Amino acid sequence: MTPSPFRYARPRSLEEAVALLHDRPTETRILAGGQSLVPLLAQRILRPRVVLDINHIADLDQIVACHDHIRMGALVRQEQARVSAVVSTEIPGLSQALDWVASPVIRARGTVVGNLVANAPGSELPAVAIALGARFAVRDFAGERLVEATDVLGSGRCLAPDALVTHVLWPRTPGRGGFYEVARRLGAAPVVGAMVSVGTDGARVGLCGVAAVGVACPSVADAIHRRFPDAPATAEIDGLLARDLTEPAFGTEFVGAEYRRRIAPVVIQRAIAIAGASAGADAGSH
Amino acid sequence: MEALQEEWLPLSMTVDRALVNSRVRPRHLLSDVLREHAGAASVHIGCGQGICGACTVVIDGVPARACLMLAVQAEGCRIQTVASLAELEGESVGPQGLTRLQTAFRHHHALQCGFCTPGLLVSTAVFLSRNTAPSRDAIVDHLNGHLCRCTGYANIIAAIESLAK
Repeated sequence: MTPSPFRYARPRSLEEAVALLHDRPTETRILAGGQSLVPLLAQRILRPRVVLDINHIADLDQIVACHDHIRMGALVRQEQARVSAVVSTEIPGLSQALDWVASPVIRARGTVVGNLVANAPGSELPAVAIALGARFAVRDFAGERLVEATDVLGSGRCLAPDALVTHVLWPRTPGRGGFYEVARRLGAAPVVGAMVSVGTDGARVGLCGVAAVGVACPSVADAIHRRFPDAPATAEIDGLLARDLTEPAFGTEFVGAEYRRRIAPVVIQRAIAIAGASAGADAGSH
Repeated sequence: MEALQEEWLPLSMTVDRALVNSRVRPRHLLSDVLREHAGAASVHIGCGQGICGACTVVIDGVPARACLMLAVQAEGCRIQTVASLAELEGESVGPQGLTRLQTAFRHHHALQCGFCTPGLLVSTAVFLSRNTAPSRDAIVDHLNGHLCRCTGYANIIAAIESLAK
């Protein structure tokens, strides 16, 4: 399997990359880790005219602790983020989720930003970004701006084709984090996955696989915060989910929507248990 | 839409200590180029989608799927296939011409058809160099991403466990 013909561009700066993208926005694909893009090229599901390799742009591979957020460049690899001390302390929910993403060799090249913007149905990180209130730093020909992750990853949303995500900004959510998923095979896309992050200021819950996009579950999160490290009962979570899940149900020919919805409360309970047992910085008030 | 003029790009990389100079199309995958331009027939192409792990090679010290990289991305890189296994294990080969890892695989019958073996060996060599005493769970997690259709996992795990100090 060889991709269709394309031109290959290797910009050395963000300015150069944005200008190239501006030239042919809908016919260009951005190559960072390539772990989502290259299989789509090889199967000719995507046939771009230009592949823009951003791997040679300086400084995009940094994880920087800023005042109220952690900033990750578009070339930060999933494994790099997974083993990062600052990520594990300040964004424990993300740190735990990264354990479940793909397999070690894929994580060594695949980037966090690339996984997010690929936004594959049911995938882990978009749900985490939506639930934690992450933002993207986006560059286009007009300049730089910040957009909410939900406005890029939520249902019916996407990024303008001439926009390049340069960084993802994660709010600091110290405390305890847990992630659990049910998948058909270790390392495969989850059937249902749940992220639970509990800090002094509240809890956050992200769910993937129940809708085509990741969803935040604020009502479930409130109930968890009141009782953590104990978990609310299955029936209670189930009832609260009915309130939180406003997106259309999602199912595939292998795993139907009804099953996904039914196991979601249990997946959340297991994520709570993992968060409770995690060695994260203590949430303090509990 | 006008026809795309496909370019040839120069590619220079090191494959198992040999300098390989070649010309490739941007769309050529590293897995194909390693096999066809560099004679590295141990780079097996299974799924071509990054799932099976048979094409895993070590690029600048880090295991990677050769099928998920464009060959042009390997410009200037140092690539090690299973032919560099002894080097990856940091030792010379033993009396039978096998490395420690190969000897363990042989002893535990950790291969049958051998299709997954080259990728498995190089990524396990790097894994063991970073984790000298991995738990069984860590070994299982490491094997996530290497499919063995002969289902030899139990023996593969036993072989790797036998080398865990």
